[in-house]
This record gives sequence, structure tokens and C-alpha cells, in this order.
Amino acid sequence: MKAFPFFSTGTRRLACIALLTALATAPAFAAATLRQQIDPPEASVGDQVTISYTLQNGNNVNFNLPPVDGLQVAGAGTQSQIAINNMTVTSSFVKTFIVVPTKPGNLTIPAFDITMPDGQVLHTQAMKLHVVTAGTAPAPSSQFNQGAANPQIPRPYNPPFNPNGPVVMPPGAPQGQPDDTATSSSNLSVPMDKDGRPAKVFMIATPKTTDAYVGETIPMRIEFYIRMDVNAQQDSLPTIIGSDFLMNNLSTRPGEDEVVLMNEPYQRDTWVTAISAPKSGDFPFQMKRDTYWAKSTGNGMNDPWGGLFFNRPQLMHQPIGSNQMTFHVHSLPEDKKPANFSGAIGDLKVTGTAEPSAVSVGEPVTLHFEVSGEGNFDYVKCPTLTADPAWKSYTPTAKTEYLDESRTQGVKRFEQAVIPQKNGRLALPDASFSYFNPTTKQYVTVPIHLPAIEVNGNAPTVASTAPAAGPDDAVAPDAPEPKANDLLPNRLELGTLHPRFNPVYRQSWFLALQGGLALLVLAAIALSLRRLRSPDTARLRTDEALRRKTIHAEEDAMTAAVRRNDATAFFLAARHAVQLHLGSQWRLKPEAITLAEIRERDPSLASALEPLFQQADEVIYSGGAGTNLNLAEWEQRVRREYLQLQPVHS
Amino acid sequence: MNSFPRFVRPALLALALGALFGTALRADSPAATLEAANRAYTYGSYEESAKLLQELIGTNGYSAPLCFNLGNAEERAGHPGQAILNYERARYLAPADRDINHNLQLARKQAGLEPNSYRWWEVALRLVYPVVGYLVIAGLLVILGAVVGSVIAGRNQLPGLRTVFRAIIFTGIPICLFLGFIELSAIGFTDRIEGVIVANKEAVLRLSPFESAEKVGTIPEGELVTVEQRHNNYYRVEGRDHHYGWVQAKEIEPVIAGSF
Repeated sequence: MKAFPFFSTGTRRLACIALLTALATAPAFAAATLRQQIDPPEASVGDQVTISYTLQNGNNVNFNLPPVDGLQVAGAGTQSQIAINNMTVTSSFVKTFIVVPTKPGNLTIPAFDITMPDGQVLHTQAMKLHVVTAGTAPAPSSQFNQGAANPQIPRPYNPPFNPNGPVVMPPGAPQGQPDDTATSSSNLSVPMDKDGRPAKVFMIATPKTTDAYVGETIPMRIEFYIRMDVNAQQDSLPTIIGSDFLMNNLSTRPGEDEVVLMNEPYQRDTWVTAISAPKSGDFPFQMKRDTYWAKSTGNGMNDPWGGLFFNRPQLMHQPIGSNQMTFHVHSLPEDKKPANFSGAIGDLKVTGTAEPSAVSVGEPVTLHFEVSGEGNFDYVKCPTLTADPAWKSYTPTAKTEYLDESRTQGVKRFEQAVIPQKNGRLALPDASFSYFNPTTKQYVTVPIHLPAIEVNGNAPTVASTAPAAGPDDAVAPDAPEPKANDLLPNRLELGTLHPRFNPVYRQSWFLALQGGLALLVLAAIALSLRRLRSPDTARLRTDEALRRKTIHAEEDAMTAAVRRNDATAFFLAARHAVQLHLGSQWRLKPEAITLAEIRERDPSLASALEPLFQQADEVIYSGGAGTNLNLAEWEQRVRREYLQLQPVHS
Repeated sequence: MNSFPRFVRPALLALALGALFGTALRADSPAATLEAANRAYTYGSYEESAKLLQELIGTNGYSAPLCFNLGNAEERAGHPGQAILNYERARYLAPADRDINHNLQLARKQAGLEPNSYRWWEVALRLVYPVVGYLVIAGLLVILGAVVGSVIAGRNQLPGLRTVFRAIIFTGIPICLFLGFIELSAIGFTDRIEGVIVANKEAVLRLSPFESAEKVGTIPEGELVTVEQRHNNYYRVEGRDHHYGWVQAKEIEPVIAGSF
């Protein structure tokens, strides 16, 4: 697209119109001559044949081929050429017909007359065409098939796909177009404006077929014509009206050329793409493209710069519709559908290879599959391998290379790794690929024969992670991240074996040990608590032990005093021993045990102890002087009598 | 040694070597059986691998790796119930093992079951309960010793030592109580008597333990249930959706083997 067609392109178009006007007037001064050509003279049924009539110094004239049985006119186009040599202007008018033979044999395009506008009559000659059946190679052609090989021959309106197809031209006026359509004698028709001139802008969509299967890609040519003298611009791409079809992305920059239709020069934008239908049924099809028209331009009256800034066109937005047609989309047959059918539809070929031919166990073998031909490559999946325990297969990778603009012809290559699991000469798993051929209307399953592989070496490692053997194992911090959708491999180690599955806490010895210990502790605690709750008893028990110990000490002291004949020491020890003895019985301090206290509590005991207490007072107060006592006898009395007395408890 | 006859030394050497290699080359040793099972698994003989592993477990006992491998073999062999059962057993023995958990969750997913991963505290309880149990035993022994020691120190008029023993007692008692609480919690979690449905595809849940009883639902193969009680050949179970019912004993296997 030109960015500013109203200045640069418009000027160029005006110059072109002036030149064509000169072309139209110049030949009036010379006689017209006719030259005709058929290419190729021999063709197969269904092939395209170009028949061209060149009028030297001739003016634009409308004529058609006479009808021929077995020959169908698929399209027609015109082209005007002008040349200046040594100040001599010559012009030519070329009208080209694309015909397609529909049956074999020798066909004859009869002679006919062409009447020029000035009344001159040109006589054409009959031309012969030898037609052979399809599949038989005709004589080689030196000419073009689609009008591009010979630059001298104008590129006609040339629907390249399925010339026998049901629709190559709009059955009605495109949207937003004039209300009448002039149909030429051929299948090419150009919408007409009300002023009798060919339509300023129109669009033609030409699919390869209108009869297809769900998911099948249908190549389609989209041609957008803009008359040279029209100020129009586009800033969008053609789109499909509705949502019944899917279309490959169009290239933003179409193929551009210039053609002459009905003596009007046109600029033509061409896209080649492919569409597909996602569901079955009969669906109308039409395309549209947003177009901006120049309704009028400012006259520059108020422009002090002479129209330099205000002489801009006023634009009007108008969508241009294409020809309409109806697609018949069929469901794929369910009968005999292969299990590995992935939706691939077309005419496809499959090959497969493997490398290397010898590996060790655990080393990968790469399988290369190549699917080529014409079809919907988006649905072409990798050939499937049959399950074989001797091989472990991995997810394949794919790469598609398209060979044409419509992205329907191409090569899709797959690489898949398989790893042998044992030694020996192993046959690779059987591979197959299934697709649906819309021509034969049948599913096709292609077996792929892969070579045998020589496998050497040892068995592979089947585990890869460190073990965690038992409940006493800690978390393995470096354990690898597991794959999302596959089982992690086996462990190689036995782990800590547990003859019994029962955990330790469910085993009786464990519970008994804990219970016994707990009971012991509880008992000890209970005793301690009881002891804490009875502080006097505890203290008394402690004091009793202490008193007993002290009594023994006093008895020892008595013995020692007897041995020294120390009466004072003896009676001090003897009296204190008796006080300790009675104090422990009456839970009194020894110092509190006096003869008066004893008499008060137990008078008979006081009578028995009175000699000891009196003798002790006498000796102690006298300082032990003047006494002639038998201490040994007294010791015996103390030990045997006084310390054995049992007082009455009060 | 010089007094030994000449043939003694070679004979002893031969005996020693024979004992060494005889032990190593025993085809039925656990390591050899495990290797054979893994080889069968690698070559796709999953049934054979599972059989070898079952024999190995029956002879030598359970371990997390053996249960894990058996789960793999059963899963590959197309027995999701047995696979999940053995993954559960492996997880019981090694609750923190991420590989086991991964395969268990994958097997559950492929069986159409919801995931049942352990939460962190569940893993912690499973990991600490044996340690806590032994700690409680040790603590009780220490406390008991301290009690005895305190008594002896009292009788021997050793007030300083007696104070130390008393400190041990009054510090050890709350610690042991806390550990005992944790242990009881762990036992409460781990001692659920759980089973896995191993019936083909699903087990029928009945209202009462009789074949003619009304059918109240189904439990899919591989689902983990809690077993409440037994009556003849039926177990009363609680499914994950907290629905109760009776299933036939042959359709359920305990996670803790022998716990039913």
C-alpha cells in the first residue's frame, strides 16, 4: 500500500490515463493487424491452456471465443501495451483466454471474426489443441501456465485453483458495489458502475474447491482490484465475514501488479492463503476489506497557500465485499477411521529413518520421520510407534517447512528418541502414519519400516535417587524434582527391613516399659507429695533419727567417762541420754525433760528416775568433788534400766 | 602354626573363601532378588517384578524402598489399588520421602482420586514419634534415678547432692509430660487403622455387613479409608467423604499389614 496515494500514486495514475488515452487515439491512424497463439498446443485433461489474440495498432475491442465442445473457458483478460520507437508510436491490445480441456481428443477452436470499432474486420484462424487423458505426459511446453513466464503476454485474470470449481466470479454484486454486473462472454466478469464503467474497486476470492471436509485446508487466492483513476486507500487486510471458517494469516504486503480489465487499468493486490472449516454443513462464504474512498477534495478557495494545505480529499469509509459462495463441508467418515488418525487431511507421503545403527544399552536412537505433500500440516502428528518393552520412547519434536504461500504444501519433520532396554539386534518398534485423502475419500495408513539396531553394553541403571529407608530417615533435602507426569524410578537398595510392620509404639514391651517407669515415677512423686503435705511428721522422723544417734553418742560418752572415772562427765551424758530418750517418746526437746516434767506426765517413771536426776545434780553442782561413786555400776543401771523405760504417752 | 600339618592352612583358606563367595553368590539373597525384580521392571515384566518383590517382603520384611518399588510395579502392571496400597505403606515407613509422595499422588491422580499429601505437621509427627517415645522412656528413667538418689542423699546427710536430684526431678517431670503429650498426639494420628480399597475398579459400600444389605454407595479402587470395626467378612469403613458403610474384607487391605 502506498502511504499517500492521493498525491504520488494519484499523479502517477493520471499520467497513466493520459498515456492510455494517447494509446487509444494513436492506432486510429494505422491499420490493425492480428496475431494469435495457443500454448501449449498439446495438453492433458484439466490442464490450463492459454489462447491469446494480439491486435497490433488495434483498439480495445470486446470479443469472446466461440464455444467448443470439450473446452471450458476458465478466465479471460486484456492488456494494452504502447511502445515508442524513433518517434513512432505503436500500440497493441492483447486478449487472453484461459481454457481447460475437459475431454481427450483433438479439439479445434474455430475461426471467427473480430469487428473493430472503426468497422475493420479481422479474421482469426482456427487453432487445434491435442488433448490427452490426465496422467499422460503431454508434449513439453515452452510457455507459461499462469501468465508469468512470458512477459509479452499479459497476466490474465487467472484463477489458479480448480478451474472446474463452482465459483470463480461473484454471482451477485459485492457489497457496496454498483447494482449491475456486466458479464463478459468468458467466466471473467467485472462489476459495473452506474456510469457504465467497470467498478472502481472490487474483490474476488477464488478457492481451490467449495467441497471439502472438516479440518481440510483449502487453498484460496484473494484478488483486490482498484481502478487506476480511483483515489482509494486501504489500511486493513481482507477478512472472512462470519465465524464459520478459519483462515491462515495473510501476509501484510500482498503481491502487486497492474492489469487492464475492460480497457480500464487496475492495480491488483493478490494474496494466496488457505481456509478451513471447523464444522460440517453448508456455509455461505464472503470476504470483505475496509476501504477508504475519496468522496471529494477541497477546492483550495480559502487556502492562502493555493491549495497546498487544504486540497485534501474527504474520505468515506466503505467495506468492499467479495464474491459470495457456499461451501459444502463434510464430516470425516467414522467408518474405518484408524486409531492413530490425528486429523491430517491431504495427499501426504511419509518416510522414516533411524540413526545410529549401533548403540549401547541406554543410549538413544533418533528416529527421523518426514511427512510431505499437500495437506493441513497443523494436524500432522508424529507417526506412532507400537508399544515395545525393548524400547523406551520419548516425546518427539517437530518442525514444519512450507513450500508455498498458502501453507498447504510443505514438509513436516519429526525427531523422536528411543532408548534400547536390552542387548542384541533389536528391531525398532513398528511405526505408522494415518491420514485422510479427500480425493479418494478414504483413510490411508502408511506403515513405516525402520531398520534393526545393534545394541551392545549392559543394562541401564533403573534408579537415580538416594534412598530414604525407614521412618527414622530424615527428609532428603537434595532429592531431585520429580517429573510431573511420570513415575519416579525404582530404588536400588533394600532399605531398613522391618520384619513386623507394627511401629514400636504398638509393641507391648515398649508400652509396658513406659508404663512401668511412669508408675514408678508417679509413686515416687506421690510419696514426695505426701511427705510435703506432712511437714511435722517428717521433721519428727528426722529428729528421731538424730536423737537416736545422739543417744548412742551419749552412751559412748558415758563409757568414756567411766574409763576416765570422770563422774561429772558421766552424769551429764547419762542424764542427756535419758532426756533424749524421753523427749523422743514425748516429742519434746531434751532440754524440756526435767524431773518435774516427768513427774507431771508419768509419776511412777519419775520415781524410777529420781535417783539418777538427784545424783546427777549433786555431782554436777559439786563439781564432782568428794564423790566416791561406782561409775561402772551406774553405767549398767543407766543402760539396762533408765534407757529402757517406756513412758506413758500423754 | 608351624606345628599344624601342611594341609591345614590351605583347607582353612578354602573354607574361608567358600564361605565368603557362597554368601555373596546366593541367588536367593535379598539383594539378588531385588536386582532381579528391578531388571524385570526395566524390561517391562511388571507382573514378574511385583511377584519377586512380594516374595522379598514376605521373606525379609517391609522397607520403604521395597514398598516403593512394589508400588511402581503394580502401577505399571495396571493394578492401581495395589500400587496405592504399597505407596501408602512406603510413605508410612518414610513419611518425608518426596519421591514416594510424588508417585503416590500420581497414582491417585491416574486412578481419578483426589490428592492426599501429608501436611507438614503430619510429616513431623510421623517422623518424631519413635524418637519421642524413646525420649519419654529415658526421661522416666532419669527421674526415677533422681528419686532414688535423692532418698539416698537424704539418708546420708548429703543436702547438696539431694538438691541436685530434686532439681532433676522437678525439671524432668514437665519435660516428660510435654513429650508424652506429643507422643500421644502422634499415636492418635498414626494409629488410625487405615486400609486401601483393592477391589477391581470399586468396592460396594453396604448399609450392614451382609451381602443382601442395601447398597449405599461405592468407593473407588485405591481410595484410602479408615476401618472402624469388623463383623465376619465385612469391615465398617469411613470414606474420605465421611460416609460410613460395610465393605467385604477381600476388597480392602490394611496399610499397616496385619493391623485389621
